[in-house]
Amino acid sequence: MTEAINPKREKILANIRIQRFIPGSNKAPYFDNFKMEVETGMTVLEVLRYLKNTQDSSLTFRAFCRSAICGSCTVRVNSRSLLACSTQLLPILKDFGKSSVTITPMANLPVIRDLVVDIEPVIDKLARMHPYLVETRECIPEAIELECLMSQKEVDTFGYVTDCILCGACYSACSSVKADEGYAGPLTIAKAYRFSVDPRDSFRGMRIQASMDQGLWSCVQCRKCIKVCPKDTRPADSIRHMRKISIDDGIHDTHGSRRAIAYTDDVERYGQVNKPMLPVVVYGTKGWTAIEAAETGLQKLGLKPTREVCTLPGQEVAARLYAAVRKREKAKKVEKEL
Amino acid sequence: MLTYDILIVGSGGAGLYAALAARMAEDLRVAVLTKVYPTRSHTGAAQGGVNAALGNKDPADTWEQHWFDTVKGSDYLADQDAAELMCREAPKVVRELEHWGCPFDRTNEGKIAQRPFGGASRPRACYAADKVGHVMLHTLYEQGLRRGVDYFNEWMTLSLLHDGERCQGVVALDIRNGKLHTIQAKAVILATGGHGRIFWNRTSNAYGNTGDGAALAYRAGLPLKDMEFMQFHPTGLRRTGILVTEGARGEGGHLLNGLGERFMNRYAPEKMELGPRDMVSRAIETEAREGRGGPEGEVFLDLTHLGRERILERLPQIRQLCIDFEGVDPAQEPIPIKPTAHYSMGGIHTDLHGMTPVPGIYAAGEAGCVSVHGANRLGGNSLLDILIFGRRAGIHALEYARSVDFPAVPHDAQAAAADQIKTLMDGDSEETTAGIRRAMGNLMSDKAGIYREEKGLTEAIAGVAQLKERYQRLRIRDNELTFNTDLVAALELGNMLELADLVVRGAQARTESRGAHSREDHPQRDDEHWLRHTLASRGSDGEPALYYEPVVIARFQPEARAY
Repeated sequence: MTEAINPKREKILANIRIQRFIPGSNKAPYFDNFKMEVETGMTVLEVLRYLKNTQDSSLTFRAFCRSAICGSCTVRVNSRSLLACSTQLLPILKDFGKSSVTITPMANLPVIRDLVVDIEPVIDKLARMHPYLVETRECIPEAIELECLMSQKEVDTFGYVTDCILCGACYSACSSVKADEGYAGPLTIAKAYRFSVDPRDSFRGMRIQASMDQGLWSCVQCRKCIKVCPKDTRPADSIRHMRKISIDDGIHDTHGSRRAIAYTDDVERYGQVNKPMLPVVVYGTKGWTAIEAAETGLQKLGLKPTREVCTLPGQEVAARLYAAVRKREKAKKVEKEL
Repeated sequence: MLTYDILIVGSGGAGLYAALAARMAEDLRVAVLTKVYPTRSHTGAAQGGVNAALGNKDPADTWEQHWFDTVKGSDYLADQDAAELMCREAPKVVRELEHWGCPFDRTNEGKIAQRPFGGASRPRACYAADKVGHVMLHTLYEQGLRRGVDYFNEWMTLSLLHDGERCQGVVALDIRNGKLHTIQAKAVILATGGHGRIFWNRTSNAYGNTGDGAALAYRAGLPLKDMEFMQFHPTGLRRTGILVTEGARGEGGHLLNGLGERFMNRYAPEKMELGPRDMVSRAIETEAREGRGGPEGEVFLDLTHLGRERILERLPQIRQLCIDFEGVDPAQEPIPIKPTAHYSMGGIHTDLHGMTPVPGIYAAGEAGCVSVHGANRLGGNSLLDILIFGRRAGIHALEYARSVDFPAVPHDAQAAAADQIKTLMDGDSEETTAGIRRAMGNLMSDKAGIYREEKGLTEAIAGVAQLKERYQRLRIRDNELTFNTDLVAALELGNMLELADLVVRGAQARTESRGAHSREDHPQRDDEHWLRHTLASRGSDGEPALYYEPVVIARFQPEARAY
């Protein structure tokens, strides 16, 4: 017994609000409103193309593969950075409970025209990370007749980072790039990390240096990059891992590593972080200025500042945890050497 | 004027491998010119695998078996010397890529993992989850950065320069600011990909797969080969043509027509949904033509009977793809699908080194045609083709460029391109790029798609001529110099129309059915008359002239292609 198939398909008349701007020709960005019927199955990219084909052929945006693998079509829809090609518009219209949606270009990058931004800054930052494998002869045979042997487990340590399509959604959403445009951004450090833990590579030290030069410790771990990544590559996690390997490799004398080491050591010792003294630990004698300023502030409020840290109850539990972690790490190291 | 020893047009796997092969020697200046950014090229969309008889999964596999599978898959139209070379060198290039950091998945012994693939007698497709094209493309780009390849991103090539004796360079448009440039080059390698977009809204290809390189070559007087062969994939999503992989049918998915009938029992009662690609595509097309499709002539791939749990466990990515791109959850309702133009077997005619008849001009990858795919490409052989022939073209171009001086470049090289742009921008007419493009896609799908016959093809030839005539009157509305995508789209359309013409003419002339070329009025393969390549060149009257060349048969005599 067969039954005819009647797919459910809906339509909503929507107002699409799009930021327009040609630097040099226009004084400032402005918005155009377009009306169209959005139906089941329509992606944001289909909507943009429909408008370009039928209403305004000068509407400018990038798009190429339209299957979420090339990373060309990143825009912001209602402020969220996303791939236009893999985002259904109807559910967004329904979610926001109104028939209007706003499309703007990626943030943190200069606009070239309308929704097209200049991504050269990202490519330049990426290029400075030594973003390529430099062979280690211990792993990679010289002869092309032989394969390099590595386990799936080793591949999996960085495999998820290789899903990155360089779409820049993370860069657009990044709080630290917003605060400091010299900061490398999530995807570039993630790429540096990916090669640094590849057993076939021999260039880790250079890459750690390059990432430190470009703000490895500037990331505030707000994790917005993780939320917007269309490929679930978790850049903020890679940044944390990159910091850890830099410390493991013996780089202990940067602000970030001093802070990280102080945090871990303090928690073991006192069960909490010795916050009053942190500026000196991190910045050296320059930190006293900050401490004195803080103390003056507290005194003005009638509070008595302290430079001592008390040991919190339960500190023994923390110490036991540390011991357990050290034991595990040692075992791992032995296993690796075998 | 910009000057390079070797200039590569196109930044997919073939272009980037060629650039790398040419730069490894370090003594020459090499640049890649691309209308996108290198990592955005369509190589990245290849999911399944790259074929190489490494024998990691099945030690009994040999390159000779790969060779035979390729020739048989091509319906015997592949040149057997070219296919031999490709299959023999395959393990080498795959290992080279792995040595450069490509993250292939691994076997338990730590070697490159391999999986079975359609048309292959043994598991030999090397893979990295479902993203092998993506990781290959990124690896090649990364090594290019390391080796000092220059990249011209978002530049579109408008003409190819040569004096009939040797290559001179190209004229290109910097899309970002609308400026024209002449680039002098001893060697130019065209690696611009396929032209599936001539079927416009009925293709799995990227928006930019408009055959720019093939059109440039054709306009410059070079011959194109086997243009009538276009592979259709049976299960593209209704709206976008994006592929739903064969895995969905492999897991037990059913194909239903609009009436809810499992129609494959009329076409392949034994294999049902798992028949070969061309056969399933033809079955779907027949259902739609005879009025048994859904509301928009689609059919349905039904997974609902598998149950939500099994779908989530075995086909999670396919489910996500349907939700993201079609707004349909396959756990709840059938997926609407249509066959979709997938791969261009034909392209710029080259020899085994990727060289065209004009010294210094090369082509590689889907833009070129050696030919290794003949009338039908095997899954996993497209990624291999780009590695092998990208590399070969790069190496040959390197030797060539070392042996010659810089060519003189005609001083008025830019004039024609500037005129072309000016004509597109000046004046006013009702014709739009979108309008002509849509008409072209419909015409090609209706008359030169999965099924072809004399009357339809004759109409298609006239139809394309009309569209070309409309294109002459096309005026774009956008007059800005900055990032003018309206202009780029119009230029691409001009390229596509050129190629569409060659596809329909080649298809009309070839009165047989072979591989992807299926003539209803000539349903049999005809080796006596048609075991030969179609070549098409622009004649002195500006019209295409077709001529033919024999197929190289080295070992395998043609026999019936049954699976």
